[in-house]
Amino acid sequence: MKRREFLQRTGMIAGASAFSFLPKFSFAAGKTVEPMTLLTCNASFDPVRPEMGRLISQACKKIGWNVTLAAEDYNMGIGKVFKEKDFDMFIVRWTGRANRIDPETFTAMMHHRDGTYNKWGYDNSSVNDLCDAQRVEMDPDKRRTMVHKIQELIYQDAASSPIVYPSMTNAYREDRLTGLVPQVGEGIGSLWSDLNVSVKKGDGYIRTGQTSPLKNLNPVSVTDSNEFKELRMIYDRLIQVGPDGSLKPWAASSIKSPDSKTVDITIREGMKFHDGMPVTIEDIKFTFDYQKKWKAPFFTSSLEKFESIKITGKNSLRIKLTEPHAPLMINFFAQIFILPKHIWKDIPDKAKVADVLNFANEKPIGSGPFKFEYWDRGKEIKVAANKDHFHAPKCAGIIRIAYGSHDAMAAAIEAGECDRTRYILKPALVQDLNKVKGVVGKGFPSHGWYGFMFNHLRGPLKDPVFRKAIDHVVPRDIIKAVVMAGFAEKGGSVIAPANEFWHNSKLPARKSSIKKAREVLSAGGYSWDDNGTLLYPS
Amino acid sequence: MADYILRRLIYMLITLFAVASILFLMFRMLPGDATLQVISPAMDEAVQQRMKAAFGLDKPLLQQYFIYLKNLVTMEWGRSFVTAQEVTAIVSYRFWNTLLLMVSGLCMTLTLGIGLGIIMAWKRNSPLDIGGTVVGLIFQAAPPFITGLLLLMTLSYRLGLFPTGGMYPAGARPDSIFGLLLMPAFWERIVLPTFTVGMYYLATPLLVMRDSMLEVLGSDYIELARAKGLKSSVIMFRHAARNALLGVVTLASILVGFAVGGQVVVESLFSWPGMGQLMVESAASHDYPVAQGTFLMLAILVIGLNFITDILYSYLDPRIKVSAEGISR
Repeated sequence: MKRREFLQRTGMIAGASAFSFLPKFSFAAGKTVEPMTLLTCNASFDPVRPEMGRLISQACKKIGWNVTLAAEDYNMGIGKVFKEKDFDMFIVRWTGRANRIDPETFTAMMHHRDGTYNKWGYDNSSVNDLCDAQRVEMDPDKRRTMVHKIQELIYQDAASSPIVYPSMTNAYREDRLTGLVPQVGEGIGSLWSDLNVSVKKGDGYIRTGQTSPLKNLNPVSVTDSNEFKELRMIYDRLIQVGPDGSLKPWAASSIKSPDSKTVDITIREGMKFHDGMPVTIEDIKFTFDYQKKWKAPFFTSSLEKFESIKITGKNSLRIKLTEPHAPLMINFFAQIFILPKHIWKDIPDKAKVADVLNFANEKPIGSGPFKFEYWDRGKEIKVAANKDHFHAPKCAGIIRIAYGSHDAMAAAIEAGECDRTRYILKPALVQDLNKVKGVVGKGFPSHGWYGFMFNHLRGPLKDPVFRKAIDHVVPRDIIKAVVMAGFAEKGGSVIAPANEFWHNSKLPARKSSIKKAREVLSAGGYSWDDNGTLLYPS
Repeated sequence: MADYILRRLIYMLITLFAVASILFLMFRMLPGDATLQVISPAMDEAVQQRMKAAFGLDKPLLQQYFIYLKNLVTMEWGRSFVTAQEVTAIVSYRFWNTLLLMVSGLCMTLTLGIGLGIIMAWKRNSPLDIGGTVVGLIFQAAPPFITGLLLLMTLSYRLGLFPTGGMYPAGARPDSIFGLLLMPAFWERIVLPTFTVGMYYLATPLLVMRDSMLEVLGSDYIELARAKGLKSSVIMFRHAARNALLGVVTLASILVGFAVGGQVVVESLFSWPGMGQLMVESAASHDYPVAQGTFLMLAILVIGLNFITDILYSYLDPRIKVSAEGISR
């Protein structure tokens, strides 16, 4: 495809119609728009989602469309959407993980025809082409232009409907902690807090609460964001995502790309693993080779793009890529953990397991800012500060405690048994905790969002006009004020304003208005029968 | 006797085989896809297959079943899908934690139950008898999560007399179980769950002991002891209570099984890292190997205790005869 033709198709230059690519939809003309089901998780998993679902389904009835809410077990819901693809609509929380600062997840992975998350059948050839193009565009400014256009197309199609951008609702003991550093998407549970926080009184350890217990300590099998948060304390990475979402040098003193298919890495001198062995460039090469050999689930797709890895100096190596890959920095170099070769070369054989994914790694040894002390499964993990680290923590260590519920965690903070939350706390509890002396409850910016997602292959949801109309139905003001207790912003684009560099600020939240929704539907040919039931265009 | 023991052993093994098979099927029949907890469906298909293969979930169900049975026999209970730790290590660590709570709870139940039962029978129809029965039944009728929650609300959160949960303070895990027992903080933490467990099961030994005592107190030899002019305390404890204890001994073994299995709520409420909490965690996360191991451990415990009780019964009551056909009187 020629450049001009491509840009015309994607609407990036004048003369191209934003909707010219849309397929023709065939409906049962004049018939009643069929009732549909809105799937959410149950309140025990997330108290917010069923409430949002209830408000949205009630609002849909006001345009003459019957929507039933189904609040189900989280696992079953995930299965219905991602495995069976048997759903009409669902509400999801796309968390603001550090790697999601890169636009790849919210654009390509969710909205490209072949995106791994796209189980809802959204297929817009212009979006597909732009997603492919941005992935290989190594110039951030040029990439940003494409990402802005993708957001615009997704918005015009109402392909996904961001309901709200929730804040990271955290609480901490102001009378005990000082130096917390919030990070976009992580709030005060960030690594930067772990490194910079200190305790005003006590043993110097920070008692950090979270409602989900830690699952695994294996840096090869890691996939879960909770595991990443614990492992990053023990293992170093080459670079880190900084508090504002930008990349910060870490174990690598520099990562440069002389051309779009070459990456040169130089590591710091003097780093040591917790057992005293030095961190060498051999360890870095080994890490890449080992993770590739064992097809590490999180990293394998990036590693497939590695053509060769060659050590070029005492502290440097060169990676040749099969093709340019822009998300590599955040999705790979800022995620992968440096493995000590002298330990992992014998795994899994020495551990007497057939596969490295079955290795428990019960005494992890890394080179990170914290040294592992113990892990009491289901209860707590304790790490002590590595005072020899190039970014030595100010506290004595971190004790990460798993609580059974948000209420139990809030009670522990109130009682002074817990110093801060690692992840989100129910918004209503944050408000309550603010009334407790010595405790601060606050919302911090996040690039995650609550999404109202549609099955593009079913009934009226195939039609962008219909989707746009129901996007107007979403009562964002009430959801923000009541359900989120004010700890959120109304959703517009699929990339949140907190992700400043990539966010397209020209895409505000659609106005919540039943009247507007009816106007959009009328303009699209929809009508209502005498009972007020919505009918397909005739 | 040897024939009887052998037969009971064979029955026990058949029962355990049936339990193990039911457990295998039960967890696989649970709604929702078990692999979703550990294998994100959003991953590439190749990555999903890679992870399934690592957990042995790519094999046909029947093959998984035979591997499971083989592993049970060789005591290789596999590894957790979630943490990759050995199931035997996870279950045995949690088992000891549960045992600590169970022993303290049952000690309280049996001591109070037997003691009060004796006195209540001795002072039949007195306010103590009526009051004791009512209190015992109230605690039995109240689910442990109500009792535990009320205790937590009042004694922990409001008055701050006891910690809110756990076995030890955050960050102070002892190196061994003996280290744990030497920690004053552990004893502070075990009071409320012990009281919750103890009071929940109290009514059963209390009423059984009271009834047995009443039956014994009507016997001729008690009348004879009274006629001999023996002291009340001697008649009550040495002559009546000893004979009335047999029913409670049988009951104790059944209570142990109930208490281990019934810790789910108490352990979750007091964040006690025992078998009950493990059952909830592993079942909720579809961690088959751990869930199967935990339930199987419970089954082994209950079936094993019943077996031991049957054998002990014959020693405790010489009137009971044991033959190849079973127990007869």
